Amino acid sequence: MNITPALEVNNLSIKFGDFTAVDNVTFSVARGEIFGFLGANGAGKTTTIRMLTGLLVPSSGSARVGGLGFEDGGRGIKKITGYMSQKFTLYNDMTVGENLDFAAGLRKLEPGYAKKRRRELFDLIGFTRPLSTMVSSLPGGIKQELALGTAMLHDPEIVFLDEPTSGVAPVSRVRFWALIGKITAMGKTVIVTTHYMDEAENCARIALMRTGKLIALGTPAELKASAFPGPMGEIDFKGAAPGAYIKKLENAPGLLELSPHGMRWHAAFKDRASMDAALEQIPAGASVALIKPSLEDVFIRLVEGER
Amino acid sequence: MFNIHRAYSIARKEVMHILRDPFTLALALGLPVILVAFFGVVIDFEVKNIGMVSADYDNGPAARRLREIFLSSGFFREIPANPGANPIEAVDSGRAAAVLYIPPDFSRDLRGGKPVAAQFVVDGSDNSKGAAILGYLPGIQRAAIKKITGAAPAQGWEIKTRFLYNPELNSRWFTIPGLAVMVIGLLSILLTALTVAREWENGSMEMLLATPVRPLEIMAGKIAPYAAIVLAGVSLIYLVARLGFGVPFAGSHLLFLLACLLFIVAALSQGLLISVLTRQQQVAMQFSMVTGLLPSLLLSGFIFPVESMPVFFRYFTMILAPRWFMEAARGIFLKGAGLAELAVPFAALGSIAFILLAVAVAKFKTDVEP
Repeated sequence: MNITPALEVNNLSIKFGDFTAVDNVTFSVARGEIFGFLGANGAGKTTTIRMLTGLLVPSSGSARVGGLGFEDGGRGIKKITGYMSQKFTLYNDMTVGENLDFAAGLRKLEPGYAKKRRRELFDLIGFTRPLSTMVSSLPGGIKQELALGTAMLHDPEIVFLDEPTSGVAPVSRVRFWALIGKITAMGKTVIVTTHYMDEAENCARIALMRTGKLIALGTPAELKASAFPGPMGEIDFKGAAPGAYIKKLENAPGLLELSPHGMRWHAAFKDRASMDAALEQIPAGASVALIKPSLEDVFIRLVEGER
Repeated sequence: MFNIHRAYSIARKEVMHILRDPFTLALALGLPVILVAFFGVVIDFEVKNIGMVSADYDNGPAARRLREIFLSSGFFREIPANPGANPIEAVDSGRAAAVLYIPPDFSRDLRGGKPVAAQFVVDGSDNSKGAAILGYLPGIQRAAIKKITGAAPAQGWEIKTRFLYNPELNSRWFTIPGLAVMVIGLLSILLTALTVAREWENGSMEMLLATPVRPLEIMAGKIAPYAAIVLAGVSLIYLVARLGFGVPFAGSHLLFLLACLLFIVAALSQGLLISVLTRQQQVAMQFSMVTGLLPSLLLSGFIFPVESMPVFFRYFTMILAPRWFMEAARGIFLKGAGLAELAVPFAALGSIAFILLAVAVAKFKTDVEP
């Protein structure tokens, strides 16, 4: 078992002209971890991953992937990593077998070894269709699973997945994350970007990005605790008009965050006392339940709340 | 530092794309056929059946002989002038391209041994037709002197013209070997430009570049299948030229193949360079049409001889591969020229191919941002 960290990133930045796409990012990822990048579109998640896979050259800072540097143009790193991009996964006009053969050819895998790996990966992802199936005829979820398998054909130590579940049905998303869990259980490290909050809960640690900067880093529980040190209440107005009360609540002392969630509102406070004080004047018929903040609340507080 | 297995994998994948993309296949095989049909059958560079009005103010036997000589040359056909109108009206209205004026007393003066002259007025508004007519005139004049006066031309000598390599000046012999330049020039540039631009556009290039594959391996893998396709297109043209139009082939097949290969590499590299720089199929397509079609068609000597171009273009064509390939192809096809005679075109083709390929590889960034 390799003991060097999967990723060591120090003060990594990249500029495109005057625009700083990734700004002084530092973090490290342990072996076998599921490490998630969470952020809005354009936050710099994909750009960070592209630098770590050797697809972009950083303007400054350093990174080591699997203990290796980019001195050789990233060739060593490309051998021990797998990458699934958000834009393209498999060639639609080729069959499943042809896509896998092509991946094996690019990686210079021995035919016997490639065949063995193919069987293992089909077992892993539960793929049972014939090799002659055209990729264009596969359902979206299965195609993503197969793309993950293809990216892992050469048995990489570290796998980068850029928005692997975007545009995939919810049931398939759950299946895909179960697959990610299996992969890390085999000792692989998975770096994944997503903008689905519920998915991010599956990550061991999350890096929250906003406009190129890493604004929070930690386990989901740590992020929640640091964003919301006090209690959070979910107010259900049950048909009563919330307007006037919400205005009053916005100025309540000790309020950290107030945001609408469908018909309900989430209100977070500094401590229990200020919450009780603020909720005393709640309109008749409305009710309050004490809830645990979700990652979505964290995201709203850290990313959107500071605009 | 070049791995043949990876290049082979890319090439094999490319073949699958080609086989499953009806557009590429149709373009690759259809274009040569259409070009041959177009240039070999429809367009005829020879000018024949030129409308001519006879303004015969003499009406004597010698005047009639002169008219017959013009008409029996096969280049002219007689157009009647409108009664009462000036004969030149037929040229003004576009019905005829020339007027033959025979003055009164032409036959009598000739019999009397006096010097005579007839006037031939040619429509100069279409200069290619005009130039062709001017080319026919000396021959007709010689025939007329001989047939009408029975005398040998003045001073007892005459200039005889004999055309080497293409004695009948059959324009197809000249045109069809030149079609190879169009097929290679357009097809190779377009097909390669599209294939690499497509990989950038659909994002698969990013996936390729995240593997240890090298730019040179990608390029070689991309070039090989298209080189084969284009060579097939050229072979098709060769067969049609030889079997369909009876064009003679005087030179070495091996040398012709070498010329084709050099030009193909130059053209494919140009296509690669375009797609490496544009990264978009639409833009790559437009660039290919302009930089592939125009030089092949207009600046290669295919239609307009390089020697008669303005000075600037005469030098400018030197950096264009189509011009050198055209020179080599025609030389090999019709003259049977060998490597010694064609050293300059071959050296130029080789250098252009090498430079274009080197620039394409150098410009191929493994960086995904433009």
